[in-house]
Amino acid sequence: MSAALLVFGYGLVVAWCLPALLTRLTAAGFSARLGLAAWLAAMVSVLAAVLAAIQYLITAAVEGWPQLAEAVCRSVAGGACTTVVYRSAVFELGLGLAAAAAALTLGVLAWRYGRSLQREQRRTRAHAEAARITGRRLPGGGAAVVLDAAQPAAYCVPGRPAAIVLTSAALAVLDPGQLTAVLAHERAHLAGRHHLLIALTRGLAATFPGVPLFTRAPAEVARLAEMCADDAAARHSSRPALITALLAMGTGTAVPAAALAATGGAVAARVQRLLDPAPRARHARNRLALVTVIVLLALVSGLVTRYAGPLAARGFALG
Amino acid sequence: MRGFGDLETVIMHMVWDHDGPVTVRDLFDELRQERPIAYTTVMSTMDNLHRKGWLDRAKEGKAYRYTATASREEYSARLMREALAGGGDTEMVLSHFVAEMDGADSEVLRTVVRRLAGRRSE
Repeated sequence: MSAALLVFGYGLVVAWCLPALLTRLTAAGFSARLGLAAWLAAMVSVLAAVLAAIQYLITAAVEGWPQLAEAVCRSVAGGACTTVVYRSAVFELGLGLAAAAAALTLGVLAWRYGRSLQREQRRTRAHAEAARITGRRLPGGGAAVVLDAAQPAAYCVPGRPAAIVLTSAALAVLDPGQLTAVLAHERAHLAGRHHLLIALTRGLAATFPGVPLFTRAPAEVARLAEMCADDAAARHSSRPALITALLAMGTGTAVPAAALAATGGAVAARVQRLLDPAPRARHARNRLALVTVIVLLALVSGLVTRYAGPLAARGFALG
Repeated sequence: MRGFGDLETVIMHMVWDHDGPVTVRDLFDELRQERPIAYTTVMSTMDNLHRKGWLDRAKEGKAYRYTATASREEYSARLMREALAGGGDTEMVLSHFVAEMDGADSEVLRTVVRRLAGRRSE
């Protein structure tokens, strides 16, 4: 019981306290890939902690069903809880029903999660196929197709096979170098399976509403995935090509005067990061901090889940 | 050259480029000019497209006459609506090169454009 609490407590601490730190460490996106890894490590760590807690709970329940019954009974009814009450078949049946309800809830959550992922995948694949059939093939663009539309847009759709879609309006505003950058960016998304990361994270957010780590992760993972793809595109083409491609696709015509202050806007943050690369020292410090977080997460969650049992037992012995 | 799945694309574009309904024979005769292809391949591909809802067909004599269920423009518009729908997040995972921007975001970009233009003219 207390081992389960220990592991569960660790999960709670990570789920509630880490998002703020991770958001701060990954805000500028110095090392987008490490940032992505840190968010994923935190989520895996919390899920593992919850599963371990459940496992400890089940083990404890199976081993000490009578004691557990007594403990639960006492915590609810206090002094009124006599042996006759907690040994009664009705009470045991009640506990059994509660366990069954909990298992059912978990099952329903998992099923809903799986179904929403499946529905999403079906729609995405259908879109990719329709785009492939409708679009004109972009010469030399590999899987890229062009759709006639007045709005500049470029996106990738995972599927079998995946598609990269550009609108005719996007082609009109991009020069060849910028087009290479855009295609490299979208290919990086597909190669890195970013859609999978985003779909899984969104599913977790929907399954566990109100848990800060999970509710904040989808936006952060999406933002960092964009930055990873930017890095790949900049390597593949050039920084200026990518920056001007972002600007060409993102702006209209008018240019009002405004300060170049950070706004927290996702696209603006990407452009600013590319325009003003951070000093090397800051970059390295940030990397080190992220690696430390990841290593600590792996280490602590491993230790906690492995030694919660013995630790809790010792706590009982001392008390 | 093009893979097998691409035949659906080729055939749809041929149907769209035709004015009226077409038969398998019409398209087979056209396709044969550019590549070695079997009549049955064209037939089964058009059958697939019919099954998937891309082609309508009506029996005329012994052969089917096929028409597209919607024009290329209608399909493009439908896809763009789907891709650009603001709330599309929950239904599909598309990675846009540039996401929908809020006012402040595009303001910053415009300023950057101006700054770059200024730098160039200096």
